[in-house]
Amino acid sequence: MSTIEYLIHGFGTAFIWYNLLFAFVGVLIGTAVGVLPGIGPMSGVALLIPVTASITGGLPPETAATSAIILLAGVYYGAMYGGSTTSILLNTPGESSSVVTTLDGYQMAKKGRAGSALSIAAIGSFVGGIVTLIALIALAEPLSNVALKFGPAEYFSLMLLGLAAVSGLAGKSVTKALIMTVCGLLLGTIGIDSVSGIARFTFNIPWLYQGIEFLTIAVGLFALGEVFKTILEKEEEEGGIAKINNMIPSKEEMKESAGPIARGSILGFFVGILPGAGATLASFFSYLLEKRISKNPSKFGTGTIAGVAAPETANNAASGGAMIPLLTLGIPGSGTTAILMGALMMYNVQPGPLLFEDHPQVAWGLIASMFIGNLMLLILNLPLVKVFAKIIETPKKYLIPLIIAISIFGVYAVQVSTNDLLLLLGCGVLGYFLSKNDYPIAPLVLGLVLGPMIENNMRRALTISNGDYTIFFTRPISLAFLIVTVLWLVIPVLLKAKGRKVVINVEG
Amino acid sequence: MSIKFDRVAAVLFLAVGILFIVGSKQLASSSYGSKVGPDIFPFFLGIILAVLSIRLFYETFSVKGHGSKKEKLQYKPFLIIFAATFLYILTLETIGYVITTFLFLFVCFQTMERTKWISSLIISAAFSGLVYFLFVEILKGTLPGWPVWFS
Repeated sequence: MSTIEYLIHGFGTAFIWYNLLFAFVGVLIGTAVGVLPGIGPMSGVALLIPVTASITGGLPPETAATSAIILLAGVYYGAMYGGSTTSILLNTPGESSSVVTTLDGYQMAKKGRAGSALSIAAIGSFVGGIVTLIALIALAEPLSNVALKFGPAEYFSLMLLGLAAVSGLAGKSVTKALIMTVCGLLLGTIGIDSVSGIARFTFNIPWLYQGIEFLTIAVGLFALGEVFKTILEKEEEEGGIAKINNMIPSKEEMKESAGPIARGSILGFFVGILPGAGATLASFFSYLLEKRISKNPSKFGTGTIAGVAAPETANNAASGGAMIPLLTLGIPGSGTTAILMGALMMYNVQPGPLLFEDHPQVAWGLIASMFIGNLMLLILNLPLVKVFAKIIETPKKYLIPLIIAISIFGVYAVQVSTNDLLLLLGCGVLGYFLSKNDYPIAPLVLGLVLGPMIENNMRRALTISNGDYTIFFTRPISLAFLIVTVLWLVIPVLLKAKGRKVVINVEG
Repeated sequence: MSIKFDRVAAVLFLAVGILFIVGSKQLASSSYGSKVGPDIFPFFLGIILAVLSIRLFYETFSVKGHGSKKEKLQYKPFLIIFAATFLYILTLETIGYVITTFLFLFVCFQTMERTKWISSLIISAAFSGLVYFLFVEILKGTLPGWPVWFS
């Protein structure tokens, strides 16, 4: 079948009534997650995995996986739309990829142009989302064909590259990021070894035999960690919400933002594909790019429409671009995609080059639903933005305990074990202290998800070579990946030593 | 960003790394049909973690005191909510979901802000009842509903 045929089938899947509903609920919750400061896309997605798992429980496995991933991906890109709302209206970014939007967005709101800033942000997000989707469709097949030729040695090195890329860009200290990665990998080794059947590090506790559940760790570290942070570091909210009056941007504003939107889409897409980069860096870079090529850069920061259009387009484009390595190579490039991958693996759907052959329904259903979801978001965000702005007023008093209750319900519904709940609570406290002290959490979750796959590929490669470790260096593609891995880790250290400022990624 | 935290963490990570090295040496070193056993991967990871934690410890010396500003942390509500969550988890299976969730939410709502207790009451009751009804009655999931001594 050709790509077009697959895509039509995908639309067939995406247009089933409950999948439409799932997409809608996903983008709706995603927008809310984006609007609410304190819950990022990572905790949002992690929190919803168990909830979707229980909702889709009655469907056959593959259909359930499709519906669940449609909803979860909806949360992911929905959050990119929602993040702009608070940046513009409140000067508080709803999530880290919208930090740059505050610079010009809030200034516009102060001048009474909040409406057009919001609508340009929505239009830009929509264009960015659609452009990357088209690129995703075009690249999916060739990329997975390349990846199919990889042997275990290549896969091992490629995954190392993915881990190194995420660790190299996450947080302030590479050492800390690497420690978190290794901890994630080590956590992944607990349980019964899938190759030899030997129990490792279980200390004869039956609960540990099936391994540490990724879901418990992710919900605990991200969602509960953020909740505890909000409780401990109570901030007094100040500043009113800017009024939204005129939603329709003027012709001049449209014209002014066309260029930034086009450039933001392409830049965001490429940054998104890069493992470790992600939406925050994309929005940051596109803002800098616009400022550099602008005729009068002094206008940036005082409320120019280009300063809103570019980053908002880029972060959405990047979130789409990040799906490419996940779906075609099976390697998540960021925290949120790692969580999406964990969700897929819970349904026994292995992302990677075989995904498009083994589970075309999942892959193409997801892609088609992203078209629909982006359209829904455009409609939701243009006329209904005033309703969403109201979400900001949700009192923390109710929100925080409800998030704890939802995490506990979700983990218990999937795991049915009090031990997992205790682990969840422990991870929550740990998550707070780790992220407070600049230990990034995304690499840990990534390590936990990728750990078993890295180990299996390493052992397969070593079995083929009869225990000879040079197999990773003698195969050219594998060697190339390893060289890039080393460079990725070494170059920032060298740059830092020279006193250069290295851009880092705070989000995942 | 306290140096103390980093040092303690470095020591702890070093201990974890060494434990994994020792632990992996006690595993059977080879599996059937393969020279590479289940011990190789955790063994190497343990070494890497130990090396990294030594590096982290070393790095704490090069960081000059940033003049750490003390921010005021709200310990009291945090401890109450933490304790409430802990009790909630421990009693969930014996007392059942509906009652524990209701009590947990009500306590936490009132801890966050001691106003409007009627709406706190309504929201906690609505949430616990609704989740139980949707999950158990409609989705046919398993959840300990009511105290064990009732059923």
